[in-house]
Amino acid sequence: MTTAASDPAVRRYLDELRRATQHLPHHRRDELIEEIEAHIREALATHAREADVREVLERLGDPHAIADEESRRLGIDRPRAGAHEWAAVVLLLVGGLLPILPVVGWFVGFVLLWASRVWSTRDKLIGTFVLPGGLVPAVSLLLFPPPIPVAQTCRSVTRMREDGPTIVLTLCEQSPMAGILATAALIVLVLLPVLTAAYLVRRALAASR
Amino acid sequence: MVVGRDEDVAQLRRGVLEYCVLALLREQERYGFELARALAEVDGLVTSEGTLYPLLARLRRDGLLETRWRESPSGPPRRYYRLTAEGRAALERFRAEWTRFRDAVDHVLGTGRPR
Repeated sequence: MTTAASDPAVRRYLDELRRATQHLPHHRRDELIEEIEAHIREALATHAREADVREVLERLGDPHAIADEESRRLGIDRPRAGAHEWAAVVLLLVGGLLPILPVVGWFVGFVLLWASRVWSTRDKLIGTFVLPGGLVPAVSLLLFPPPIPVAQTCRSVTRMREDGPTIVLTLCEQSPMAGILATAALIVLVLLPVLTAAYLVRRALAASR
Repeated sequence: MVVGRDEDVAQLRRGVLEYCVLALLREQERYGFELARALAEVDGLVTSEGTLYPLLARLRRDGLLETRWRESPSGPPRRYYRLTAEGRAALERFRAEWTRFRDAVDHVLGTGRPR
């Protein structure tokens, strides 16, 4: 017999409930989650086969519906994704590339992200720190590729002159390794912001269901 | 209000549900899960058991219910709900209103039961 807390379906349900209620006042939110947990515990006290767990969670209902009911009973609005959220995603991704005041674009996106009531703190941290600047690092790498010391092969050439000082030249060229490293870096620098943006969009849509 | 939408019945149900909860606590105090199952036994009253808890919290805030913790034979203590004096009064007022309302609507809709 599995205890209520350890069942994966129960944990998923409670996680969804926590996400659905994160806009509620802290005290009432904690209380509600405890009440639902206690309900599940009571329901599964006698037996906890797979089908029973599913039935209990089904009868409990959609976590978003419960969160909606709580919002209604508290007289507050459930925040839904809107223009501010979409603007935040676009600016975080490409705002840094604007021809006029480049960094400001990303920064405005950053402010909109943190001011939003739709995303959780975890979402906001991911949106901020996975790759700050959005696509700016990738574009910078394309426009201004830095020389990579590790990927250079250098050789010395010595010039001796009868009537002057000995000149030693060091010639370095980028090895093929450099090209591979640069391409890999570029891929990562493009993928990370795009995936982060997609993640934020998905979370915003889920919260507005 | 556009007539005939599902939302209308849902709103009706929501408005009446509070008094059904109060009525279930008329004779005895009950804990959350007990209430949920008692309501579920009456067909068509609750769609999702989880929405009961926001309602209970609201009734407590409005002073119609109070709670206390009691030991349970099978685990952690349970929170029991019971009517306050205001809750009892509100219930009695609604019961009188409801009978009149129900009879009036039945009469107009032609759904009244023969006496």
